[in-house]
Amino acid sequence: MTIAPITDIRPLVAVLRAGIGHWGLVIGHFLLLLCGCTHSPQAVGTADLIWGKPGITSGRLQKPRAIAIDGQDQLYIVDMTARIQVFDADGKYLRSWKTPVSKNGRPSGLTIDQSGRLLVADTHYYRMLVYKASGEPVEAATIGGTLGREPGEFGFVTDVVEDSAGNFYIGEYGDFDRIQKFTHDGEFLLQWGTHGSDPGQFRRPQNMAIYAIDGQEQIWVADACNHRIQVFDTQGELLSVWGEEGSDIGQLYYPYDLAFDDQGHVYICEYGNHRVQKFTLDGKPVGSWGRQGRGPGELHNPWALALDSQGRLHVLDSNNHRVQRAVF
Amino acid sequence: MTQSPGRAGGYIDMFNHSLAFDSPSYLLLLLLLPVMWWLSFAGLSGLGRWRRIVALTLRSIVFSAIVLALADVQYQRRSDKLAVIYVLDQSLSIPIEQRAEMGKYVNASILEHRSGFSDNTFEDRYAVIVFGRDAGVEMPLVDVGISLPPRVETILDPEYSDLSTAIQRAKAMFPFDAAKRIVLVTDGNQNLGNAQREAKAATAAGVSIDVVPVILVPRSEVAVEKIDVPANARRGQPFEMRVVLGNDAPEGRERAVAGKLRIIRKTGEREETIVTQDIVVPPGKRVFTISEEIDQPDFYTYEARFSPDNPTADGMTQNNIASAFSHVRGKGQVLLIENWDKQGQFDHLVERLRNEDIAVSVAPSDRLFNSLAELQRYDCIVLANVSRSTGTDGDNISSFSDDQISMLVRNTREMGCGLIMLGGPDTYGAGGWTNTELEKAMPVDFEIKNTKVVPVGALVLMMHAGEIPRSNYWQKRIAFESIKILGSRDYCGLVQWNGTDQWLWGQSKGGLIPVGPNRKMMLARTDRMTIGDMPAFDPALKMSATAFAGVPTAAVKHMIIISDGDPTPSKAATLRRLKQLGVKISTVAVGSHGRIGSTEMQRIATTTGGKYYVVKSAKALPKIYQREARRIARPLVFERETPFRPNIVSQHEILQGIEGGVPPIRGFVLTTVKENPLVEVLLQSPQPTTEKNSTVLATWTYGAGKTVALTTDAGNRWANRWSSWDGYDKLFSQMVRWAMRPTSDLDNFSVATSVRDGKTQVVITATGADDEFLNDQSMSGSVVAPDMASVPLHIEQTAPGRYVGEFLSDLAGSYLIVVNPGPGRAPIRTGVNVGYSAEYRDNETNMALLKSLANMSAKNGPLGMLVETGLNLSDPKELLAANPFRRDMPPAIANQSIWPWLILAGSCVFFADVFVRRVQVDFEWLLPLLARARDWVLRREKATPMPETMERLRSRKREVGQQIEGRRAATRFEEPIEAPEATDAIAQASATVNPTKPQSKQLSDEKPDQAVEPSYTERLLKAKRQVWQDREKRSDDKK
Repeated sequence: MTIAPITDIRPLVAVLRAGIGHWGLVIGHFLLLLCGCTHSPQAVGTADLIWGKPGITSGRLQKPRAIAIDGQDQLYIVDMTARIQVFDADGKYLRSWKTPVSKNGRPSGLTIDQSGRLLVADTHYYRMLVYKASGEPVEAATIGGTLGREPGEFGFVTDVVEDSAGNFYIGEYGDFDRIQKFTHDGEFLLQWGTHGSDPGQFRRPQNMAIYAIDGQEQIWVADACNHRIQVFDTQGELLSVWGEEGSDIGQLYYPYDLAFDDQGHVYICEYGNHRVQKFTLDGKPVGSWGRQGRGPGELHNPWALALDSQGRLHVLDSNNHRVQRAVF
Repeated sequence: MTQSPGRAGGYIDMFNHSLAFDSPSYLLLLLLLPVMWWLSFAGLSGLGRWRRIVALTLRSIVFSAIVLALADVQYQRRSDKLAVIYVLDQSLSIPIEQRAEMGKYVNASILEHRSGFSDNTFEDRYAVIVFGRDAGVEMPLVDVGISLPPRVETILDPEYSDLSTAIQRAKAMFPFDAAKRIVLVTDGNQNLGNAQREAKAATAAGVSIDVVPVILVPRSEVAVEKIDVPANARRGQPFEMRVVLGNDAPEGRERAVAGKLRIIRKTGEREETIVTQDIVVPPGKRVFTISEEIDQPDFYTYEARFSPDNPTADGMTQNNIASAFSHVRGKGQVLLIENWDKQGQFDHLVERLRNEDIAVSVAPSDRLFNSLAELQRYDCIVLANVSRSTGTDGDNISSFSDDQISMLVRNTREMGCGLIMLGGPDTYGAGGWTNTELEKAMPVDFEIKNTKVVPVGALVLMMHAGEIPRSNYWQKRIAFESIKILGSRDYCGLVQWNGTDQWLWGQSKGGLIPVGPNRKMMLARTDRMTIGDMPAFDPALKMSATAFAGVPTAAVKHMIIISDGDPTPSKAATLRRLKQLGVKISTVAVGSHGRIGSTEMQRIATTTGGKYYVVKSAKALPKIYQREARRIARPLVFERETPFRPNIVSQHEILQGIEGGVPPIRGFVLTTVKENPLVEVLLQSPQPTTEKNSTVLATWTYGAGKTVALTTDAGNRWANRWSSWDGYDKLFSQMVRWAMRPTSDLDNFSVATSVRDGKTQVVITATGADDEFLNDQSMSGSVVAPDMASVPLHIEQTAPGRYVGEFLSDLAGSYLIVVNPGPGRAPIRTGVNVGYSAEYRDNETNMALLKSLANMSAKNGPLGMLVETGLNLSDPKELLAANPFRRDMPPAIANQSIWPWLILAGSCVFFADVFVRRVQVDFEWLLPLLARARDWVLRREKATPMPETMERLRSRKREVGQQIEGRRAATRFEEPIEAPEATDAIAQASATVNPTKPQSKQLSDEKPDQAVEPSYTERLLKAKRQVWQDREKRSDDKK
């Protein structure tokens, strides 16, 4: 008569967790409202949307590593399958394409240029690829492709940025660590940096971003393995260096990517600390979000981030195979 | 409440959520609720109306919770989702074209019937399992619109069909929240397991089974059923060999099949065709007899092969081969195996043994045996300074597989072959043989437990190979190999990136901990590890340097890095520090990201003096790790400049006739002698002084064979004085002869074997020297199966001189049989080859089985469906009309026992019940509070509390007045009089003081007393005066 009781409480746990997760977001928003603003000295970020499932089918993500955002707030994400997938700001899948080869390794940097094209740091093929937003390759615009230390040759390419004059800055690592500057047509202009930990040297300049202040453009570099941020002018002159290794607030541990808002803040995504920190431009910490884990608001080795037109951060939660959208 | 049709208990239904009870009879206890109310109602009368109601309600809840818990209440969730698992038969009984069609069918079926393709939202999940002998998941349960790739990628053994395992695997894969259906695509020809039983279990668990039969077209089938040769032929004596062929043709289409029959004789590496004959095989069976004579003693394998002239006339070619063994006794044969990269080291020994009339074959370690049968021509195997793995780089590294080691050991333990290990710096513990099966077979253990004898080593493994295919699997494999090889006292650490750089174990102890007490924990953690993408080499290298510095006792420090080479390069200072600490780093570059990664890996190895490997195939990894981890074992070699002479510890056949001891040696490999009375130590070195570690020569009997351990070499490096020594030939030939399997031609035993229905019968005919039958012999035997399992063989006498034993032989491959005819007689060896599995016997679809499977009904569900036309994609109308995603199953119910939660809730409510009864909560404060809140919200003027306070003061005054009057009445001897002054005083005080309660109370208590006091005195005085006046009046009257 008696059937052995089923002791599997996973569904309940899942429901509870989902519930807690949802309420976590609500409570987070509530706290945010109570704080009254997002500029308080220790602003706490909250995730307002989490999307993405692991997988290799369209719309799913397999350890995503780089993200770029265009003028329409469309997200371009490349993952370990070398697919570049395009999503809207809410995570709705739009389209995708693949880089031509990926046997040696997958791209690890994406940027949208001024004309809306996608610049791809094809890391393990020593080059920068260019695609139209639709995914159509612009082969003539490719820079590099040869392994080497000469101008125009590359080691592991990490990221590409474009300044307002249309020049490209391409970062690389290995023991090649440097930044090369090219004209829009791919003509080599100059280079700076070597492998090392002195100011002006790099150990894995994983991502770059451009910031304009008083009409002067600056190249900000996330110098990942030196756990610091370096700022250069467009001629490669070092303007400032800040950041120290550690896991306290204000310290950095493998900063992998950075983004600016229009209120003078820089958001830095830390691969090793599993969080995003918000700093003033002189390196003063004003907020932090995320910790190691798999739950909502928790990150596992985040690689990159992007800021959309509404001031929301889209963080690639790489080892959790998802994207979390956060508000500070 | 309604009764559930399928469940033993009942349920309460609320849409998709319900409660069910496993022991509903307990619910009758709820009838006691009114009794409890009746009993409690009177008992709780002192509580007042509302508290009584609350207490009763709470008590009822507690009681109900206990009853529900007793009834084992279950929370149920229903779901109308469906999970379909396609189970595809990939065994060889099905022609390859039909096997390929199965994938197409799955894709067509899901496209046709699975909803959700239009909007990319799939409610129903599907999965694909393929099976042969084992079952593998080709596609996990997916809720996306992914289709099955055209080629089956799961690696299976297609020589068998085990439908039951496949059904079992599918059953285990179903989720709890969906209705379950299996679609079997098979010919039903199972030759392992019992599909019906498993299907019954599955349907009882609610799984519905649909069947798509694979219709096999009957063809003429010619098979070489067997080849018979006598197991023990005699040299130079002709014998008859019989080959039996069968032609199984479908009814009405019987016809003879012409072709070529070839008989091939193999011995060692020699292979010769002895007969090639054109034959015709008529329907039915045909026996061919061939005459054969063996003139060289050896172990022979005969193989009969039939090839039809017209390939289409024969359905399957896999069953056209059969083989058998025969053995002609002669003088003993020895196989000497040496390291392939150091060939020729033992040429001198081989030459001297051959001089002693011992036949020796030499094999390098990269051309090893692949089956136990191959070893049967040898009576003694010599491992001459052989290491477990040999080679210089990832491409040419070779090693003994676990199977080969197992064959060596079985060959000695079961088959009685001798096994000798000759020393040298590359063998025993120093050769990576620690913790292998070979160690068990030898009279010495390869590990040293005494620190004074051998210092310890420390090994750090750094893992960063996340980008190679199946990276986690391979990284686990190599970690396992390394941990297994290390000695108990060696230190081991594993550093990896998992969110941060971290040690997999011993984080608080610096990362490097002794293997001995932690080996199991290390293996378990390795099994669970998931490795992330390390951004930079340097921090992990620094951690390792600190760890190495923390084990100063380690004499050998080694590190192995596996990586694709893309972390940021390490700092030169870190590498320098490691080098100063004496750490050598070997690097293994896998799937390197082109040339850059390789450069950094090479730099690390070169800087620290380690080795650099480039690995193209991950299969080479375990061998590399066996070799690299072995470096830790280097201290096991005991080597001295000054020669020392080993002492003869005990006398033995091997040392017979050796006068004056053995010449001095300069080194040997340290071992630990086994504590077993069977072990005989013959030679011992005078140093080191711990005797059990200084064995030079020891022997013992291991199972049916004998093994010898000589820890020094045979005259190359350490025992070179032995080469010119007179006793050299004697020592080594006696050693080999002692270990060798005994041979004897005196017996007259013949062994015959026959295979039928998955069993092999062994028949021994025993005749004496005068050809009379030998009875009452105590015979025993053992069998080594193709999977190296030992199968006992019981032999019983069934007739005069006739002894019979039988064993199961359902696997294809060689079964090697040893029969021990009795004490004093040499063992008889023979073999049986089960050439092909039952898979090739069947050439018709087993519709009876398939129909019975489809006719089973899932619990509470309908019968399964059988697609009569079978798997036929050329006319798929009916095939695709069958919808596996049809909704004819009851919804899936997920159950969860919630009685513990009820007990918890009941306990909390019980506390509330006690609280309500014991504590009287005053809610008077609530109304004013609410009023005040209302006023605050509506911004009303604060109401004056004055009149109320005054009224209370007055009433209090009256009370106090009455009390005083009472007291007066009790103490005064006068008539009470009014004290209006007091009242006035109170009124006065009330009007002036702050109207807060305590103050007013104090005033009202004090004022009356002050008012009464002077009046009382006055009255006393007045009374006194009255008395005086009366006295005066009386005295006046007297005057």
